Amino acid sequence: MKKISSEDVCKEVHRFWAILSGNVADRLEEMYSPTAIVFTGKAKRSESAKLMAVRRSRQLPGPGHFSRAEVGSIDVQIVGQDVAIAAYTYSFNTQKILANGSKMQINTSFGRATQIFQRGEDGALRIVHEHLSAAAPPAMEKAGE
Amino acid sequence: MSNISSDDVRAEVKKFWDFLSRKLKSQFAEMYISSASVFAADARRMEPARLMLVRRERELLGPASFVAANLGSIDVQPLGADLAIASYPFHLSITRTRASGKRYQSEVPRGRATQVFQRDEKGVLRIIHEHMSSAEPVSTKELPPTDPPKRV
Repeated sequence: MKKISSEDVCKEVHRFWAILSGNVADRLEEMYSPTAIVFTGKAKRSESAKLMAVRRSRQLPGPGHFSRAEVGSIDVQIVGQDVAIAAYTYSFNTQKILANGSKMQINTSFGRATQIFQRGEDGALRIVHEHLSAAAPPAMEKAGE
Repeated sequence: MSNISSDDVRAEVKKFWDFLSRKLKSQFAEMYISSASVFAADARRMEPARLMLVRRERELLGPASFVAANLGSIDVQPLGADLAIASYPFHLSITRTRASGKRYQSEVPRGRATQVFQRDEKGVLRIIHEHMSSAEPVSTKELPPTDPPKRV
């Protein structure tokens, strides 16, 4: 099996954020191993990536929604033949539609990410563990129509 | 070499917090591989563990500082013979001493930890990457100079 490389990992990180930003149509859940565990932004406990990916997919930006991610320098530690740890900072600006139909603009300026990738038997890199957090609470404001 | 067991990893996590709360500096530093990287709970950027250790030693391991942690359930994901991920929630109470001499008491009620352990060449499990965060804002207050460290 091909040894995991930093370039492969960086490519997957950028694909992840392109999906979250609505720039590519790939399925978010396919980025995760079936047994992956994640800590998302404000969750108090870790959860199954499957559940989180379904939830996030529902919240992906639709037509007319603005969403943008900027990823900082990605530090990749190759740990063994088929596992790599990607750690980096990011900023993410997105819109969320609340239950009452109003839109909120959410700006995460000091995001921090750890994503651990493992190459599967099919050769694909998948996230087995993810920890997303922010060093400062996201700024939220009402978005225009 | 035998595969890493979940119990081995949980024991290392408990050792980590035991060393920190008992201020066992050298044992605590030994938990990290020299090339380890860390996202501290309140840091905007990742840093090498060796830098974080200098700061933690100054702020958390001095005589006027205090650390107490209650750990939640520890999930372990083994990734082959030499690697495993531990992830868990925690509640942390700390009294830290800044370089200025001022002391601050902080509560991290909803802490979250990811620690990646790798077996070194001697077979010892050590941390190669750590990401700590808080699901809620951390409350911090400055302590008067005479207050003893808070015990919980």
